Amino acid sequence: MREDRVCSSVRSALFVVAVLTFSAALAFGQGQQGQPEPAGVNPAGGGVPMRSLERLKAKSAGPAPRAADGKPDLSGLWGPEPRFMGDISNALKPGEKLPLQPWAVKVSRERLSKDDPEANCLPAGIPRQTPFPFKIIQTPKLVVILIEGNMHTYRQVFVDGSTHPKDLDPTWFGDSRGKWEGDTLVVDTIGFNDKFWFDGIGHPHTEKLHIVERYRRPDAAHLDYEVTIDDPGAYTRPFTMYGQSPLLQNAEIMEYFCNENNQDVAHVIGKGRPAKE
Amino acid sequence: MTIKNSAVVGILGLFFAVLPALAHHAFVAQYDASKSTTLSGVVTKVEWTNPHARFYVDVKDKSGAVTNWNLELASPNALRRLGWTRDILKVGDQVSVFVAPAKDGAKMANARTVTLADGRKMVAGVAAEQGGVQ
Repeated sequence: MREDRVCSSVRSALFVVAVLTFSAALAFGQGQQGQPEPAGVNPAGGGVPMRSLERLKAKSAGPAPRAADGKPDLSGLWGPEPRFMGDISNALKPGEKLPLQPWAVKVSRERLSKDDPEANCLPAGIPRQTPFPFKIIQTPKLVVILIEGNMHTYRQVFVDGSTHPKDLDPTWFGDSRGKWEGDTLVVDTIGFNDKFWFDGIGHPHTEKLHIVERYRRPDAAHLDYEVTIDDPGAYTRPFTMYGQSPLLQNAEIMEYFCNENNQDVAHVIGKGRPAKE
Repeated sequence: MTIKNSAVVGILGLFFAVLPALAHHAFVAQYDASKSTTLSGVVTKVEWTNPHARFYVDVKDKSGAVTNWNLELASPNALRRLGWTRDILKVGDQVSVFVAPAKDGAKMANARTVTLADGRKMVAGVAAEQGGVQ
């Protein structure tokens, strides 16, 4: 009986590996068909921390809760979206490519992983995610996003009808102002610095970056979002990426101060993309 | 561990060998999964820290020479969610660790699975559904 189960496990594992390997091969293959920018990293980024969240995902999906003011309540602990980690190309619609300007192609090909701000315990910026949860706290006039990792940090989205201040100093998360369009929270952000990388393989941006995020909670257990990037300094046109986060249950944000014992960077010698490229 | 269990771990190991991304830095830029091997020795230090928990193991070669290896685990928050506790590894424990070594030649490696002194096999990744303990 036990032997049967073990054999079955072997067969299941083989099948999973075959499917995933085939998918990865397809992804790499697509990146080698003459386009200037290879699709780099397997969307299953995040490794161990991502797998640590699997069993926390909410099982049932009732209707999205509503806040006292009638708006959908986006509050909750949400799991990260791997398509916004290793290579944001994975978050485009199938078949689309990032409209990088030539200098931006060159930069993302040459960047070394040791120089990745995220690996150096600096903020990930927007839209990059790390394989750790984030928590949304929604009030009528302010939405706060608590970010567990790569370093503890937060975003404030003012939903009070105010507009961006003039003459913003460039920062890692910029200045975010939100408004509701029906059941969608639309977040407009400007005022970015050019220091963070969009992903692990180093897609760049400039201080001209303008991001519009559209958040919806289609049911209790999921948060859907679209992220439109408009950066005429690095991309030839605006483009939109898509993601979904699962609601996590019986869990909380945990402490994560990356610079406590960061020994890695001194030993990182390559690029954040497979060596074949 | 049975031969068939080894096969499961081996097969899954093959898959994870092609996974390039790690939590906080690019796996492919730091470790060489194609040179994965097993290290056996005695735990000399444990650091339950971010961005990675680490433990150090004295490994003796055939000539009797001892090398201290610096082995990287996931971050404490991820390990906790996988069912690890900070006292699972203790100084003096005899362990066997399946690792991917550093590309730069340092005596440093990414620990994929850890077989504890009591025989429990702690899988930092593939056994998430079982709480990290096989």
